[in-house]
Amino acid sequence: MPVAAVPVAGVPGAAPSASPEVAAAVAPPPPTAAAPAAGPASPSRRRFVRYLLGFSIVTTLALIAAPIIAFLVPPKELSAGTSGKTLAGTTTDIPPGSGKVVAMGSKPTIVVNTAEQGPKAYSAICTHLGCIVTYDDQSTSIVCPCHGGKFSPTTGAVISGPPPAPLAPVTVSVEGDQIFLVGS
Amino acid sequence: MTADADLRPSPDLTPAPGGAGGWVESRTGIRELSAALLHVRIPVEARTMYFGGIALFLFMVQAGTGTLLALYYKPTPDAAYDSVVSIMSNISFGWLIRSIHHWAANLMILFVAFHLLRVFFQGAFKRPRELIWVFGVGLLGITMVFGFTGYLLPWDQRAYWATVVGTEIAGAVPIVGDALLVLLRGGTDVTGATLSRFFGIHVLVLPITLAILMAVHLTLVHQLGLANPKKIDPVPGPPTGPTRRFFPEYVLDELIAWYLIIAILVVLASIFPAGMEAKANPLETPPETKPEWYFLAVYEFLKMVPKLIGIGWPMVGLAILTVWPFLERSPEVLMRRRKLVVAFATVMLAAGLFLTGVGLGFFTIPAFLYFA
Repeated sequence: MPVAAVPVAGVPGAAPSASPEVAAAVAPPPPTAAAPAAGPASPSRRRFVRYLLGFSIVTTLALIAAPIIAFLVPPKELSAGTSGKTLAGTTTDIPPGSGKVVAMGSKPTIVVNTAEQGPKAYSAICTHLGCIVTYDDQSTSIVCPCHGGKFSPTTGAVISGPPPAPLAPVTVSVEGDQIFLVGS
Repeated sequence: MTADADLRPSPDLTPAPGGAGGWVESRTGIRELSAALLHVRIPVEARTMYFGGIALFLFMVQAGTGTLLALYYKPTPDAAYDSVVSIMSNISFGWLIRSIHHWAANLMILFVAFHLLRVFFQGAFKRPRELIWVFGVGLLGITMVFGFTGYLLPWDQRAYWATVVGTEIAGAVPIVGDALLVLLRGGTDVTGATLSRFFGIHVLVLPITLAILMAVHLTLVHQLGLANPKKIDPVPGPPTGPTRRFFPEYVLDELIAWYLIIAILVVLASIFPAGMEAKANPLETPPETKPEWYFLAVYEFLKMVPKLIGIGWPMVGLAILTVWPFLERSPEVLMRRRKLVVAFATVMLAAGLFLTGVGLGFFTIPAFLYFA
């Protein structure tokens, strides 16, 4: 069945082996009375029709591609943080001189009950390369386990190590013995 | 053997003839392969109605939309339902992708059935095309298993209980039924294990299997060509009567059919988007649980006859269907020369359509006809 012929590049011109019906179908249309004076083969009409065809093909492909690309873009995170208050714990859970990492929505937050200024909270994501910090009772400072960064528990400022910036503060609200984190 | 010979540029560095096309041809040798694949002839009397090509196209649509859905779908009982709801409401065009996936699934089964009927009534399965038919019946079976496994994935009440009912029916198969039920469910009940299993089958096992069977099916069609609905081919080989070109004329005809299908899918998805019922509750069976429309005929049949016949007859029927080209061996392909076969097939088809209508609520059968 395979015919050993060199393929004609895309244009349905009259191939020598075409059957008569096909040859008639693909031959240029005979000139009609309404043909413009451009010539017997109406090149402007043919060009217009071919332009329409190309436009239809491109539009179809665009109409298929656009929803797919839009679909692939993830929606904005709706629950990244929680507005309102998150209960971090009580002063019994986090006694003075200790600290704990809790989740505020999906954001890790470190709560430190400082002796000097009471409960303070900061984003627990180290500003160096993104590891989660912990509280070190021994040195009473916030430390990062990855590269030894140290932050002040009262201000979040960098004490030592590679972090380039202080930890972002989080508003704390104390009601009775309950420690709340006020988020945005 | 002169030193100058080493200084001549090697032939690979000279520019290839023919520009871009020549560049590709010299690096792949693709021209010979594409000529063999594309430059075949179609008998002008062939009347495929493009159903097989549409089924292939719908599979490609399913593979595409299914892949997109799999980027957001979570296959666990806790997360599946919400992930589908999220696809429908949070993700851009998620409703469109999911609804197209839903409708293309139904249309694919419909067009595979149309394709089977066209081939059957034209006698296009006869010598030498018996194997194409056998692989085609396999493709039909895989398409239905696609539908069955995919149906569970949204994990809503309808999905869950239709799967319970469907796997119960599988469990009623004689001898292997119990083992089959446990194998399908991943346990004795429909649980998260069932969901994992169905997801893996739907997304990995079945696409690979279908691709392999489809490759064989299409290769054989390419090798043997389209059948002539007026008379059986005297000997296998290139078509003897007047022909037309596969490429580009027949290919363009197929593309027009595919374009219409895209339009139908988008309209259906927009007017009848895929829905969701309540989240699956294993403790509460909703009223009127029934399978999807393509299983309804067997389901209704089961209600009317003893279980053994209800399971047995569809299985026997499927086996007969698979080996049909070896049962009907006469060289007649015209319907008026195969009156008995056509009558039998019409009766079976009518019965199947009637039972499907019963299942959908269009007809009712008097209660006394139901078996116990």
